Amino acid sequence: MPNSDDFLKEFHWLMDVLQDIDVGLVVLNKDFEIELWNSFMQNHSAKLPTHVLGKNLFEMFPEVPAAWFQRKVQTVFTLHNPAFTTWEQRPYLFKFLNYRLITGVADFMYQNCTILPLTNTSGQIEHICIIIYDVTEVAVNRLQLQKANDQLHTLSRTDGLTRLLNRKAWEQSLEEEFKRFQRNNAAVSLIMFDIDHFKKVNDGYGHPAGDEVIRATANILRASQREIDIAGRYGGEEFAVILLNCDADGAKVFAERLRQSIENFTVTHNGIDIKYTISLGISELGPCISNPTDWIETADKGLYQAKENGRNKSVIFSKK
Amino acid sequence: MSAILAIREEQRDCLQELTNVAMGQAGDRLARLLDTFVILSIPHIAVMSPSDIAMTLQSIDTARSISGVCQGFIGGGIAGEAILLFNDTSFQDLAKLMKYDDELDQQAERELLMDTTNVLFGACLRGLGEQIDQGFSFASPMLLGQHQDINELFNIKNARWENALVTEINYQLEGYSVNCDLLIVIADESVDLLLKKLDFMLD
Repeated sequence: MPNSDDFLKEFHWLMDVLQDIDVGLVVLNKDFEIELWNSFMQNHSAKLPTHVLGKNLFEMFPEVPAAWFQRKVQTVFTLHNPAFTTWEQRPYLFKFLNYRLITGVADFMYQNCTILPLTNTSGQIEHICIIIYDVTEVAVNRLQLQKANDQLHTLSRTDGLTRLLNRKAWEQSLEEEFKRFQRNNAAVSLIMFDIDHFKKVNDGYGHPAGDEVIRATANILRASQREIDIAGRYGGEEFAVILLNCDADGAKVFAERLRQSIENFTVTHNGIDIKYTISLGISELGPCISNPTDWIETADKGLYQAKENGRNKSVIFSKK
Repeated sequence: MSAILAIREEQRDCLQELTNVAMGQAGDRLARLLDTFVILSIPHIAVMSPSDIAMTLQSIDTARSISGVCQGFIGGGIAGEAILLFNDTSFQDLAKLMKYDDELDQQAERELLMDTTNVLFGACLRGLGEQIDQGFSFASPMLLGQHQDINELFNIKNARWENALVTEINYQLEGYSVNCDLLIVIADESVDLLLKKLDFMLD
Protein backbone atom coordinates (compact mmCIF):
# COMPACT_ATOMS: atom_id res chain seq x y z
CA MET A 1 0.00 0.00 0.00
CA PRO A 2 1.45 3.35 -1.01
CA ASN A 3 2.37 5.58 1.88
CA SER A 4 1.42 9.22 2.07
CA ASP A 5 4.81 10.26 0.77
CA ASP A 6 4.23 8.32 -2.47
CA PHE A 7 0.82 9.82 -2.77
CA LEU A 8 2.26 13.29 -2.34
CA LYS A 9 4.87 12.63 -5.03
CA GLU A 10 2.26 11.34 -7.43
CA PHE A 11 0.01 14.27 -6.69
CA HIS A 12 2.92 16.58 -7.32
CA TRP A 13 3.71 15.34 -10.80
CA LEU A 14 0.02 15.12 -11.64
CA MET A 15 -0.25 18.79 -10.78
CA ASP A 16 2.78 19.46 -12.99
CA VAL A 17 0.96 17.86 -15.89
CA LEU A 18 -2.11 20.02 -15.32
CA GLN A 19 0.06 23.10 -14.98
CA ASP A 20 2.18 22.58 -18.04
CA ILE A 21 -0.11 20.86 -20.49
CA ASP A 22 -0.41 22.87 -23.68
CA VAL A 23 -4.11 23.58 -23.40
CA GLY A 24 -5.87 26.06 -21.17
CA LEU A 25 -7.54 24.63 -18.07
CA VAL A 26 -9.97 26.64 -15.97
CA VAL A 27 -12.14 25.27 -13.19
CA LEU A 28 -15.23 27.24 -12.19
CA ASN A 29 -17.70 26.73 -9.37
CA LYS A 30 -21.46 27.25 -9.63
CA ASP A 31 -21.04 30.99 -9.03
CA PHE A 32 -18.60 31.21 -11.93
CA GLU A 33 -15.70 31.87 -9.61
CA ILE A 34 -12.32 30.72 -10.89
CA GLU A 35 -10.78 27.88 -8.87
CA LEU A 36 -8.05 26.63 -11.19
CA TRP A 37 -5.95 28.61 -13.64
CA ASN A 38 -3.12 26.66 -15.26
CA SER A 39 0.04 28.11 -16.73
CA PHE A 40 -1.30 28.16 -20.30
CA MET A 41 -4.03 30.50 -19.10
CA GLN A 42 -1.62 32.39 -16.92
CA ASN A 43 0.88 32.94 -19.73
CA HIS A 44 -1.60 33.93 -22.39
CA SER A 45 -3.71 36.19 -20.22
CA ALA A 46 -0.79 37.72 -18.29
CA LYS A 47 -2.87 37.22 -15.15
CA LEU A 48 -1.41 35.31 -12.24
CA PRO A 49 -3.47 32.72 -10.36
CA THR A 50 -3.26 34.96 -7.26
CA HIS A 51 -4.94 37.64 -9.32
CA VAL A 52 -7.84 35.56 -10.69
CA LEU A 53 -8.52 32.77 -8.19
CA GLY A 54 -11.77 33.26 -6.33
CA LYS A 55 -12.82 36.03 -8.72
CA ASN A 56 -15.89 36.00 -10.90
CA LEU A 57 -15.14 34.96 -14.50
CA PHE A 58 -17.29 37.66 -16.09
CA GLU A 59 -15.80 40.42 -13.96
CA MET A 60 -12.26 39.35 -14.75
CA PHE A 61 -12.93 38.70 -18.44
CA PRO A 62 -15.69 40.94 -19.77
CA GLU A 63 -15.13 39.51 -23.29
CA VAL A 64 -16.85 36.27 -22.22
CA PRO A 65 -20.53 36.77 -23.08
CA ALA A 66 -22.22 36.03 -19.75
CA ALA A 67 -25.74 35.11 -20.87
CA TRP A 68 -24.52 32.84 -23.61
CA PHE A 69 -21.94 31.14 -21.42
CA GLN A 70 -24.34 30.59 -18.53
CA ARG A 71 -26.83 29.00 -20.90
CA LYS A 72 -24.15 26.67 -22.17
CA VAL A 73 -23.05 25.76 -18.67
CA GLN A 74 -26.63 25.14 -17.61
CA THR A 75 -26.78 22.14 -19.94
CA VAL A 76 -23.57 20.79 -18.40
CA PHE A 77 -24.99 21.00 -14.88
CA THR A 78 -28.39 19.59 -15.82
CA LEU A 79 -27.37 16.85 -18.23
CA HIS A 80 -23.97 16.02 -16.70
CA ASN A 81 -22.67 16.20 -20.22
CA PRO A 82 -19.85 18.14 -21.86
CA ALA A 83 -20.66 21.16 -23.99
CA PHE A 84 -18.63 22.46 -26.91
CA THR A 85 -17.87 25.66 -28.72
CA THR A 86 -15.87 25.80 -31.92
CA TRP A 87 -14.01 28.70 -33.51
CA GLU A 88 -16.45 28.64 -36.38
CA GLN A 89 -19.29 29.66 -34.08
CA ARG A 90 -17.27 31.90 -31.77
CA PRO A 91 -13.68 32.63 -32.71
CA TYR A 92 -12.63 32.68 -29.06
CA LEU A 93 -13.84 32.52 -25.48
CA PHE A 94 -10.90 34.40 -23.96
CA LYS A 95 -9.38 37.07 -26.13
CA PHE A 96 -5.68 36.24 -26.28
CA LEU A 97 -3.68 38.39 -28.66
CA ASN A 98 -1.22 36.95 -31.13
CA TYR A 99 2.17 36.81 -29.48
CA ARG A 100 4.37 35.55 -32.33
CA LEU A 101 5.81 38.54 -34.18
CA ILE A 102 7.10 36.62 -37.16
CA THR A 103 5.15 33.42 -37.53
CA GLY A 104 1.89 34.60 -36.00
CA VAL A 105 -0.87 34.30 -38.60
CA ALA A 106 -3.86 35.93 -36.93
CA ASP A 107 -4.56 38.89 -34.68
CA PHE A 108 -5.87 36.70 -31.88
CA MET A 109 -5.97 33.07 -30.85
CA TYR A 110 -8.79 31.05 -32.39
CA GLN A 111 -10.09 28.63 -29.78
CA ASN A 112 -12.16 25.50 -29.52
CA CYS A 113 -13.51 24.97 -26.02
CA THR A 114 -14.92 21.99 -24.20
CA ILE A 115 -16.82 22.46 -20.97
CA LEU A 116 -16.70 19.35 -18.78
CA PRO A 117 -18.80 18.51 -15.73
CA LEU A 118 -16.69 17.63 -12.65
CA THR A 119 -18.28 15.30 -10.13
CA ASN A 120 -17.51 15.63 -6.44
CA THR A 121 -17.03 12.69 -4.06
CA SER A 122 -20.79 12.28 -3.66
CA GLY A 123 -21.41 12.21 -7.42
CA GLN A 124 -22.79 15.72 -7.70
CA ILE A 125 -21.69 18.37 -10.16
CA GLU A 126 -20.47 21.44 -8.36
CA HIS A 127 -17.68 22.44 -10.68
CA ILE A 128 -17.04 22.63 -14.38
CA CYS A 129 -13.77 22.59 -16.25
CA ILE A 130 -13.16 24.67 -19.36
CA ILE A 131 -10.54 23.32 -21.74
CA ILE A 132 -9.19 25.85 -24.23
CA TYR A 133 -7.53 24.55 -27.39
CA ASP A 134 -5.43 26.85 -29.56
CA VAL A 135 -6.66 26.17 -33.12
CA THR A 136 -5.36 29.34 -34.74
CA GLU A 137 -3.43 27.61 -37.51
CA VAL A 138 -6.26 25.28 -38.46
CA ALA A 139 -8.68 28.18 -38.47
CA VAL A 140 -6.47 30.46 -40.53
CA ASN A 141 -5.75 27.73 -43.07
CA ARG A 142 -9.40 26.98 -43.45
CA LEU A 143 -10.35 30.64 -43.77
CA GLN A 144 -7.68 31.15 -46.43
CA LEU A 145 -8.85 28.11 -48.33
CA GLN A 146 -12.41 29.34 -48.16
CA LYS A 147 -11.37 32.77 -49.42
CA ALA A 148 -9.42 31.25 -52.31
CA ASN A 149 -12.41 29.08 -53.21
CA ASP A 150 -14.74 32.08 -53.10
CA GLN A 151 -12.41 34.02 -55.37
CA LEU A 152 -12.21 31.11 -57.80
CA HIS A 153 -15.97 30.81 -57.76
CA THR A 154 -16.37 34.53 -58.57
CA LEU A 155 -13.67 34.39 -61.24
CA SER A 156 -15.27 31.42 -62.94
CA ARG A 157 -18.56 33.31 -63.20
CA THR A 158 -17.28 36.70 -64.25
CA ASP A 159 -16.55 38.07 -67.69
CA GLY A 160 -13.03 39.50 -67.62
CA LEU A 161 -13.62 42.59 -69.74
CA THR A 162 -16.91 43.81 -68.32
CA ARG A 163 -17.08 42.18 -64.86
CA LEU A 164 -20.66 41.22 -65.69
CA LEU A 165 -21.67 37.56 -65.41
CA ASN A 166 -20.16 35.46 -68.17
CA ARG A 167 -22.41 33.56 -70.51
CA LYS A 168 -22.33 30.29 -68.62
CA ALA A 169 -23.15 31.84 -65.26
CA TRP A 170 -25.81 34.06 -66.76
CA GLU A 171 -27.47 31.13 -68.50
CA GLN A 172 -27.56 29.32 -65.18
CA SER A 173 -29.42 32.26 -63.68
CA LEU A 174 -31.75 32.34 -66.66
CA GLU A 175 -32.64 28.72 -66.05
CA GLU A 176 -33.22 29.35 -62.35
CA GLU A 177 -35.50 32.28 -63.06
CA PHE A 178 -37.36 30.24 -65.66
CA LYS A 179 -37.98 27.54 -63.05
CA ARG A 180 -38.96 30.11 -60.45
CA PHE A 181 -41.59 31.45 -62.84
CA GLN A 182 -43.12 27.96 -63.13
CA ARG A 183 -43.54 28.00 -59.36
CA ASN A 184 -44.67 31.51 -58.53
CA ASN A 185 -45.76 33.07 -61.86
CA ALA A 186 -44.32 36.46 -60.89
CA ALA A 187 -43.75 38.68 -63.93
CA VAL A 188 -40.20 38.45 -65.30
CA SER A 189 -38.76 39.90 -68.49
CA LEU A 190 -35.67 39.36 -70.57
CA ILE A 191 -33.84 41.99 -72.60
CA MET A 192 -31.24 41.02 -75.21
CA PHE A 193 -29.36 43.87 -76.82
CA ASP A 194 -26.33 44.51 -78.96
CA ILE A 195 -24.24 47.41 -80.12
CA ASP A 196 -25.24 48.76 -83.53
CA HIS A 197 -22.57 48.49 -86.24
CA PHE A 198 -20.02 47.31 -83.73
CA LYS A 199 -17.81 46.01 -86.54
CA LYS A 200 -17.43 49.59 -87.75
CA VAL A 201 -16.15 50.66 -84.33
CA ASN A 202 -13.58 47.89 -84.39
CA ASP A 203 -12.57 48.52 -88.00
CA GLY A 204 -12.56 52.29 -87.72
CA TYR A 205 -10.92 52.82 -84.33
CA GLY A 206 -9.18 49.51 -83.59
CA HIS A 207 -9.98 46.70 -81.20
CA PRO A 208 -8.88 48.50 -78.01
CA ALA A 209 -11.48 51.16 -78.83
CA GLY A 210 -14.03 48.38 -79.36
CA ASP A 211 -13.17 46.98 -75.93
CA GLU A 212 -13.60 50.43 -74.44
CA VAL A 213 -17.09 50.69 -75.99
CA ILE A 214 -18.03 47.28 -74.60
CA ARG A 215 -16.76 48.23 -71.15
CA ALA A 216 -18.64 51.55 -71.23
CA THR A 217 -21.84 49.75 -72.24
CA ALA A 218 -21.44 47.34 -69.32
CA ASN A 219 -20.89 50.24 -66.91
CA ILE A 220 -24.01 52.05 -68.09
CA LEU A 221 -25.98 48.82 -67.86
CA ARG A 222 -24.72 48.26 -64.31
CA ALA A 223 -25.62 51.81 -63.33
CA SER A 224 -29.16 51.53 -64.76
CA GLN A 225 -30.13 48.12 -63.42
CA ARG A 226 -31.67 47.40 -60.03
CA GLU A 227 -29.74 45.24 -57.63
CA ILE A 228 -31.98 42.22 -58.22
CA ASP A 229 -31.65 42.31 -62.00
CA ILE A 230 -29.25 39.82 -63.54
CA ALA A 231 -27.00 41.23 -66.23
CA GLY A 232 -24.50 39.27 -68.29
CA ARG A 233 -22.33 39.48 -71.36
CA TYR A 234 -23.92 37.02 -73.76
CA GLY A 235 -21.41 37.17 -76.60
CA GLY A 236 -18.98 39.59 -78.28
CA GLU A 237 -21.09 42.75 -78.36
CA GLU A 238 -24.27 41.13 -77.11
CA PHE A 239 -25.64 41.67 -73.63
CA ALA A 240 -28.55 40.18 -71.74
CA VAL A 241 -30.41 41.21 -68.62
CA ILE A 242 -33.16 39.49 -66.67
CA LEU A 243 -35.56 41.90 -64.97
CA LEU A 244 -37.28 40.35 -61.98
CA ASN A 245 -40.83 41.34 -61.00
CA CYS A 246 -41.08 43.31 -64.21
CA ASP A 247 -43.62 42.95 -67.04
CA ALA A 248 -43.01 43.84 -70.70
CA ASP A 249 -44.11 47.45 -70.22
CA GLY A 250 -41.75 47.92 -67.28
CA ALA A 251 -38.97 46.31 -69.29
CA LYS A 252 -39.73 48.70 -72.17
CA VAL A 253 -39.26 51.68 -69.81
CA PHE A 254 -35.94 50.21 -68.65
CA ALA A 255 -34.84 49.46 -72.21
CA GLU A 256 -35.66 52.97 -73.43
CA ARG A 257 -33.78 54.53 -70.53
CA LEU A 258 -30.76 52.37 -71.24
CA ARG A 259 -30.95 53.10 -74.98
CA GLN A 260 -31.08 56.86 -74.38
CA SER A 261 -28.26 56.78 -71.81
CA ILE A 262 -26.01 55.09 -74.34
CA GLU A 263 -27.12 57.33 -77.20
CA ASN A 264 -26.20 60.38 -75.07
CA PHE A 265 -22.90 58.94 -73.92
CA THR A 266 -19.57 59.50 -75.60
CA VAL A 267 -16.67 57.09 -75.30
CA THR A 268 -13.33 58.83 -75.54
CA HIS A 269 -10.46 56.64 -76.65
CA ASN A 270 -7.01 58.08 -77.36
CA GLY A 271 -8.56 61.53 -77.64
CA ILE A 272 -11.13 60.43 -80.20
CA ASP A 273 -14.84 60.68 -79.36
CA ILE A 274 -16.90 57.68 -80.32
CA LYS A 275 -20.71 57.82 -80.43
CA TYR A 276 -22.71 54.64 -80.75
CA THR A 277 -26.18 53.19 -80.19
CA ILE A 278 -27.78 49.88 -79.20
CA SER A 279 -30.85 47.91 -80.27
CA LEU A 280 -32.90 45.95 -77.79
CA GLY A 281 -35.40 43.08 -77.86
CA ILE A 282 -37.76 42.47 -74.96
CA SER A 283 -39.64 39.32 -74.03
CA GLU A 284 -41.83 38.84 -71.00
CA LEU A 285 -41.99 35.23 -69.87
CA GLY A 286 -45.41 33.64 -70.38
CA PRO A 287 -47.04 30.25 -70.76
CA CYS A 288 -46.34 30.06 -74.50
CA ILE A 289 -42.58 30.03 -73.85
CA SER A 290 -41.71 26.44 -73.03
CA ASN A 291 -38.01 26.56 -72.13
CA PRO A 292 -35.14 29.01 -71.47
CA THR A 293 -33.85 28.67 -75.05
CA ASP A 294 -37.24 29.71 -76.42
CA TRP A 295 -37.18 32.67 -74.09
CA ILE A 296 -33.86 33.83 -75.52
CA GLU A 297 -35.14 33.27 -79.06
CA THR A 298 -38.20 35.44 -78.50
CA ALA A 299 -36.07 38.28 -77.09
CA ASP A 300 -33.71 37.81 -80.05
CA LYS A 301 -36.63 38.15 -82.45
CA GLY A 302 -37.51 41.46 -80.80
CA LEU A 303 -33.90 42.48 -81.28
CA TYR A 304 -34.00 41.63 -85.02
CA GLN A 305 -37.17 43.66 -85.41
CA ALA A 306 -35.44 46.60 -83.70
CA LYS A 307 -32.58 46.25 -86.16
CA GLU A 308 -34.95 46.03 -89.14
CA ASN A 309 -36.83 49.11 -87.96
CA GLY A 310 -33.65 51.14 -88.26
CA ARG A 311 -31.64 50.35 -85.08
CA ASN A 312 -31.31 52.43 -81.90
CA LYS A 313 -34.74 51.10 -80.91
CA SER A 314 -36.31 48.71 -78.43
CA VAL A 315 -39.04 46.28 -79.45
CA ILE A 316 -41.28 44.05 -77.34
CA PHE A 317 -41.63 40.70 -79.00
CA SER A 318 -45.13 39.31 -79.10
CA LYS A 319 -46.47 36.25 -80.89
CA LYS A 320 -48.92 37.29 -83.56
CA MET B 1 -19.07 -13.34 -40.35
CA SER B 2 -20.10 -9.85 -39.50
CA ALA B 3 -21.21 -9.47 -35.90
CA ILE B 4 -23.97 -7.17 -37.04
CA LEU B 5 -25.53 -9.64 -39.43
CA ALA B 6 -25.31 -12.35 -36.77
CA ILE B 7 -27.17 -10.26 -34.18
CA ARG B 8 -29.75 -12.38 -32.37
CA GLU B 9 -33.32 -11.33 -31.82
CA GLU B 10 -32.88 -11.24 -28.03
CA GLN B 11 -29.78 -9.04 -28.39
CA ARG B 12 -31.69 -6.68 -30.61
CA ASP B 13 -34.56 -6.58 -28.12
CA CYS B 14 -32.14 -5.98 -25.30
CA LEU B 15 -30.49 -3.08 -27.11
CA GLN B 16 -33.85 -1.64 -27.98
CA GLU B 17 -34.95 -1.88 -24.36
CA LEU B 18 -31.73 -0.32 -23.07
CA THR B 19 -32.04 2.52 -25.53
CA ASN B 20 -35.66 2.95 -24.56
CA VAL B 21 -34.78 3.25 -20.89
CA ALA B 22 -31.91 5.60 -21.74
CA MET B 23 -34.28 7.72 -23.75
CA GLY B 24 -36.71 7.81 -20.88
CA GLN B 25 -34.01 9.14 -18.58
CA ALA B 26 -32.79 11.52 -21.27
CA GLY B 27 -36.33 12.72 -21.85
CA ASP B 28 -36.67 13.48 -18.17
CA ARG B 29 -33.42 15.45 -18.05
CA LEU B 30 -34.23 17.24 -21.27
CA ALA B 31 -37.68 18.17 -20.01
CA ARG B 32 -36.10 19.77 -16.97
CA LEU B 33 -33.50 21.60 -19.02
CA LEU B 34 -35.82 22.74 -21.78
CA ASP B 35 -39.04 23.20 -19.78
CA THR B 36 -41.04 21.28 -22.31
CA PHE B 37 -42.34 17.78 -22.77
CA VAL B 38 -40.20 15.68 -25.09
CA ILE B 39 -42.08 13.23 -27.26
CA LEU B 40 -39.84 10.31 -28.12
CA SER B 41 -40.46 7.48 -30.50
CA ILE B 42 -39.59 3.91 -29.59
CA PRO B 43 -36.02 3.32 -30.80
CA HIS B 44 -35.84 1.43 -34.04
CA ILE B 45 -32.83 -0.82 -34.55
CA ALA B 46 -31.72 -1.54 -38.10
CA VAL B 47 -28.72 -2.81 -40.00
CA MET B 48 -27.55 -0.37 -42.64
CA SER B 49 -24.96 -0.43 -45.39
CA PRO B 50 -22.82 2.55 -46.44
CA SER B 51 -25.19 3.20 -49.33
CA ASP B 52 -28.14 3.46 -46.90
CA ILE B 53 -26.22 6.02 -44.89
CA ALA B 54 -25.20 7.88 -48.05
CA MET B 55 -28.85 8.06 -49.06
CA THR B 56 -29.80 9.43 -45.66
CA LEU B 57 -27.07 12.04 -45.85
CA GLN B 58 -28.15 13.08 -49.31
CA SER B 59 -31.45 14.25 -47.91
CA ILE B 60 -29.50 16.99 -46.19
CA ASP B 61 -29.32 20.07 -48.27
CA THR B 62 -28.21 23.37 -46.84
CA ALA B 63 -30.53 25.26 -49.13
CA ARG B 64 -33.58 23.25 -48.17
CA SER B 65 -35.37 22.40 -44.99
CA ILE B 66 -33.22 19.56 -43.69
CA SER B 67 -29.98 20.13 -41.80
CA GLY B 68 -27.69 17.54 -40.27
CA VAL B 69 -25.09 17.45 -37.54
CA CYS B 70 -22.67 14.63 -36.75
CA GLN B 71 -21.01 13.90 -33.44
CA GLY B 72 -18.52 11.16 -32.79
CA PHE B 73 -18.23 9.18 -29.55
CA ILE B 74 -15.87 6.57 -28.23
CA GLY B 75 -15.46 4.60 -25.01
CA GLY B 76 -14.10 1.19 -24.03
CA GLY B 77 -13.62 0.18 -27.65
CA ILE B 78 -17.17 1.04 -28.58
CA ALA B 79 -17.13 3.86 -31.08
CA GLY B 80 -19.51 5.37 -33.54
CA GLU B 81 -21.06 8.49 -34.80
CA ALA B 82 -24.43 10.03 -34.25
CA ILE B 83 -26.27 11.89 -36.97
CA LEU B 84 -29.03 14.27 -36.01
CA LEU B 85 -31.34 15.23 -38.85
CA PHE B 86 -33.52 18.28 -38.37
CA ASN B 87 -36.65 18.06 -40.49
CA ASP B 88 -38.80 21.14 -40.94
CA THR B 89 -37.40 22.67 -37.82
CA SER B 90 -38.01 26.31 -37.15
CA PHE B 91 -34.92 28.18 -36.00
CA GLN B 92 -37.09 30.62 -34.09
CA ASP B 93 -38.54 27.72 -32.12
CA LEU B 94 -35.15 26.17 -31.61
CA ALA B 95 -33.83 29.48 -30.29
CA LYS B 96 -36.80 29.82 -27.92
CA LEU B 97 -36.25 26.27 -26.75
CA MET B 98 -32.53 26.73 -26.09
CA LYS B 99 -33.27 30.08 -24.44
CA TYR B 100 -31.20 31.78 -27.06
CA ASP B 101 -32.16 35.44 -27.16
CA ASP B 102 -29.38 36.94 -29.24
CA GLU B 103 -29.96 37.91 -32.83
CA LEU B 104 -30.36 34.90 -35.13
CA ASP B 105 -27.79 35.19 -37.89
CA GLN B 106 -26.43 32.23 -39.83
CA GLN B 107 -23.65 31.78 -37.32
CA ALA B 108 -26.14 31.62 -34.48
CA GLU B 109 -28.32 29.15 -36.38
CA ARG B 110 -25.37 26.83 -36.81
CA GLU B 111 -24.50 27.11 -33.16
CA LEU B 112 -28.09 26.28 -32.26
CA LEU B 113 -28.03 23.14 -34.40
CA MET B 114 -24.78 22.01 -32.84
CA ASP B 115 -25.87 22.79 -29.30
CA THR B 116 -29.18 21.02 -29.79
CA THR B 117 -27.40 17.98 -31.16
CA ASN B 118 -25.01 17.94 -28.26
CA VAL B 119 -27.85 18.16 -25.76
CA LEU B 120 -30.16 15.59 -27.36
CA PHE B 121 -27.50 13.07 -28.24
CA GLY B 122 -25.46 13.60 -25.07
CA ALA B 123 -28.49 12.93 -22.89
CA CYS B 124 -29.29 9.74 -24.78
CA LEU B 125 -25.80 8.26 -24.92
CA ARG B 126 -25.14 9.07 -21.29
CA GLY B 127 -28.23 7.07 -20.32
CA LEU B 128 -27.12 4.17 -22.47
CA GLY B 129 -23.58 4.33 -21.07
CA GLU B 130 -24.84 4.23 -17.50
CA GLN B 131 -26.73 1.02 -18.14
CA ILE B 132 -23.89 -0.83 -19.81
CA ASP B 133 -21.44 0.72 -17.36
CA GLN B 134 -19.40 2.49 -19.95
CA GLY B 135 -18.45 6.17 -20.06
CA PHE B 136 -18.01 7.81 -23.44
CA SER B 137 -15.90 10.66 -24.77
CA PHE B 138 -17.58 12.99 -27.23
CA ALA B 139 -16.08 14.87 -30.12
CA SER B 140 -17.39 18.31 -30.78
CA PRO B 141 -20.44 18.30 -33.06
CA MET B 142 -19.88 19.00 -36.73
CA LEU B 143 -22.37 20.63 -39.03
CA LEU B 144 -22.71 18.67 -42.28
CA GLY B 145 -22.35 20.34 -45.64
CA GLN B 146 -20.87 23.52 -44.24
CA HIS B 147 -17.40 23.23 -45.72
CA GLN B 148 -17.60 20.18 -47.82
CA ASP B 149 -20.02 18.69 -50.24
CA ILE B 150 -21.71 15.83 -48.38
CA ASN B 151 -21.07 13.51 -51.31
CA GLU B 152 -17.36 14.23 -50.97
CA LEU B 153 -17.41 13.88 -47.21
CA PHE B 154 -18.85 10.39 -47.15
CA ASN B 155 -17.95 8.37 -50.19
CA ILE B 156 -19.40 4.88 -50.26
CA LYS B 157 -16.34 3.52 -52.04
CA ASN B 158 -14.08 4.74 -49.26
CA ALA B 159 -16.21 3.49 -46.39
CA ARG B 160 -14.09 1.26 -44.18
CA TRP B 161 -17.05 -0.78 -43.04
CA GLU B 162 -19.71 -2.92 -44.63
CA ASN B 163 -22.52 -2.97 -42.13
CA ALA B 164 -23.49 -0.70 -39.31
CA LEU B 165 -25.94 -1.08 -36.50
CA VAL B 166 -28.19 1.94 -36.51
CA THR B 167 -30.47 2.99 -33.70
CA GLU B 168 -33.02 5.49 -34.85
CA ILE B 169 -35.03 7.72 -32.53
CA ASN B 170 -37.45 10.47 -33.42
CA TYR B 171 -37.78 13.52 -31.19
CA GLN B 172 -40.58 16.01 -31.09
CA LEU B 173 -40.96 18.79 -28.60
CA GLU B 174 -44.40 19.67 -27.41
CA GLY B 175 -45.49 23.13 -28.47
CA TYR B 176 -42.52 23.71 -30.75
CA SER B 177 -42.00 23.15 -34.42
CA VAL B 178 -38.95 20.99 -33.81
CA ASN B 179 -38.76 17.52 -35.28
CA CYS B 180 -35.57 15.56 -35.57
CA ASP B 181 -34.25 12.07 -36.09
CA LEU B 182 -31.28 10.78 -34.19
CA LEU B 183 -29.30 7.99 -35.82
CA ILE B 184 -26.62 6.31 -33.74
CA VAL B 185 -24.34 4.48 -36.14
CA ILE B 186 -22.03 1.80 -34.76
CA ALA B 187 -19.71 -0.21 -37.01
CA ASP B 188 -18.81 -3.89 -36.87
CA GLU B 189 -15.85 -4.05 -34.46
CA SER B 190 -17.67 -1.94 -31.91
CA VAL B 191 -20.83 -3.98 -32.22
CA ASP B 192 -18.88 -7.07 -31.20
CA LEU B 193 -17.98 -5.48 -27.88
CA LEU B 194 -21.44 -4.02 -27.43
CA LEU B 195 -23.05 -7.42 -27.98
CA LYS B 196 -20.72 -8.99 -25.41
CA LYS B 197 -21.94 -6.40 -22.93
CA LEU B 198 -25.53 -7.22 -23.84
CA ASP B 199 -24.92 -10.96 -23.47
CA PHE B 200 -23.46 -10.32 -20.06
CA MET B 201 -26.66 -8.54 -19.09
CA LEU B 202 -28.87 -11.21 -20.60
CA ASP B 203 -27.17 -14.02 -18.63
